Amino acid sequence: MSANPDNARDTSSRFGTFALVFGVSFAVLYVVCDMAALPMFTYHPGTDRIDPGFAPARRDEGPAMYWYGWIASSTLGASILGLLAVLLPENIGRKIPLALAWIAPVVLLPILIYSLKFYWRW
Amino acid sequence: MDFVLDYISVNTFWTILSIVHALLAVALLGALTHQAVAVLAPTRAGAAGGFVTRFRSVSGPSYAAAVCLLWLLAFIFGGWIYTKYRIYVRIPIEQEGFWKTLGAFELKEHLSTIGLGLLPVYWYLWKNVRNAAYANARKWLTVVLAAICWYAFLTGHIVNNVRGFGS
Repeated sequence: MSANPDNARDTSSRFGTFALVFGVSFAVLYVVCDMAALPMFTYHPGTDRIDPGFAPARRDEGPAMYWYGWIASSTLGASILGLLAVLLPENIGRKIPLALAWIAPVVLLPILIYSLKFYWRW
Repeated sequence: MDFVLDYISVNTFWTILSIVHALLAVALLGALTHQAVAVLAPTRAGAAGGFVTRFRSVSGPSYAAAVCLLWLLAFIFGGWIYTKYRIYVRIPIEQEGFWKTLGAFELKEHLSTIGLGLLPVYWYLWKNVRNAAYANARKWLTVVLAAICWYAFLTGHIVNNVRGFGS
């Protein structure tokens, strides 16, 4: 995220800071939302019903889906964090390691596998 | 979309969506694999032009926008058919007790979503391809996205084999 006197390149650099912080925090927040059951809403595909927050499946109405709600929660959180990062002084924004963009998903992979331990049975 | 169902059956409609999702995934897989191989094993100037050399000598930056668009479209179609998967595919697989298949699919869903969130920074890194300071992050993020894409593609294929739409 190098500093540039040119205005267009400065905007590009700010977008880079936003994109990096958004991507990393989206990944982390998504895993947190999944493991802590924090969807913004719950979708019931059998009846097309949408409930706010986490709602268990209703009797005789089929399963409940939380995936869409996790995406919404993490998108909102990551957007806020990304915008806050853009407001930081540029010398601080520049210190955020770019490598986090690929390290975050690699580190989160074993956590995700562990979170799915229910399925790894013989 | 209900008017479509005047002409084709419900099963055919969802099968078409599933096939479109798969075709988008094939295109995405090809683009990301080319790009990942190009950054992992770039060609030397003047190298002989065999199949492998040509495979890895693509221009990485020209693939970035297509990869973002294809990932987004494949994700939208995947998210669309996911509602029907949850009822008509997943429940029978649960009843058959194929738990590892379901777990592998859950992991695909998680990794594809995380990959989606990383697309803006991926695009930014490729947009600034001349910035040498970004080279390492660009290379490994591309490789990670390609690995996610391969995993998602193969898992989707396996789940479709276990119980695809209309089965």
